[in-house]
Amino acid sequence: MTIPILVAVLAGLLVGLSRQLNGRLAVSTSPLISSFWNHAIGFAALTVLGLVVGGLIPPGAEDAPWHAYVGGPIGVVFVAAGSWVIARIGAVNTAILVIGGQMVSGVVLDLFLAAPTALWATGLGVILILAGVVVTQTQAKR
Amino acid sequence: MATSTPRPRLIHFMAAFGTGGLLTLMVHFNGELGRHGNALFSSWGAHGTGTVAAILFLALLYRRRAKSTVERPPAPVWAYLGGLSGAATVMLTSLAVNSPLALAGTLALGLAGQVVFSLGADLWGLFGLPKRRPTLRDLIALALILAGSALIILFRGFES
Repeated sequence: MTIPILVAVLAGLLVGLSRQLNGRLAVSTSPLISSFWNHAIGFAALTVLGLVVGGLIPPGAEDAPWHAYVGGPIGVVFVAAGSWVIARIGAVNTAILVIGGQMVSGVVLDLFLAAPTALWATGLGVILILAGVVVTQTQAKR
Repeated sequence: MATSTPRPRLIHFMAAFGTGGLLTLMVHFNGELGRHGNALFSSWGAHGTGTVAAILFLALLYRRRAKSTVERPPAPVWAYLGGLSGAATVMLTSLAVNSPLALAGTLALGLAGQVVFSLGADLWGLFGLPKRRPTLRDLIALALILAGSALIILFRGFES
């Protein structure tokens, strides 16, 4: 159980590292150029990995509907936006606001998809997150 | 680096919160791609279509972009490696999700890892971004958002 825990924490650390590196690259280039390199280099690395371990294009992949590929372009905007804000509001604010936004929108998506949820826990969670978001706003220049 | 930090504005905070919504959509669509293939294919496909989309966006914006007169410092080579870190994340996450941690445990521990990294990054100005001493307000916001996230993640999928 220790190894999966370390793996999961490391995955989180790497999310932060990636955002920090892309943010630094955006300072010298632009957020969109930084997002381009993030995707191009990730694609190259995954292509190599897929060719080495095999099964890059698994059976059934061609049956995926077109909208399953929309995640890529959305990711471009996501990475560019993260690279833009991190140099301005810092790594902590960026991380917690993105996490908060992901959680609240996930709850909305779950409601939309009618996924089962414990209403009291989810509702309280959303309230706590929104309170946290309000706290970060108080340092903004209006 | 770490000289001029632009003043934070409301729009930066709102943009960060809003992109969390993009992340939800991205994970949703990539998950669908993963169900038709596997985790590696999902990440590979998303990075591929993302690369193409980034080129299209850059081409669309190219004409509007007047030549910048501000001299920008060149980027060190390591700043180009964010994509490697991102690609590794996908693999590690799919490993952890398929362990006894399942999705909820993986998400919760991943958030912890992100927050630990960001605290260190701000405190020491890691990788050339501005140093920023976390304030009490940052820590209160952090505690509220993490507590709320933990509630949502850990009770997800349980009927009340």
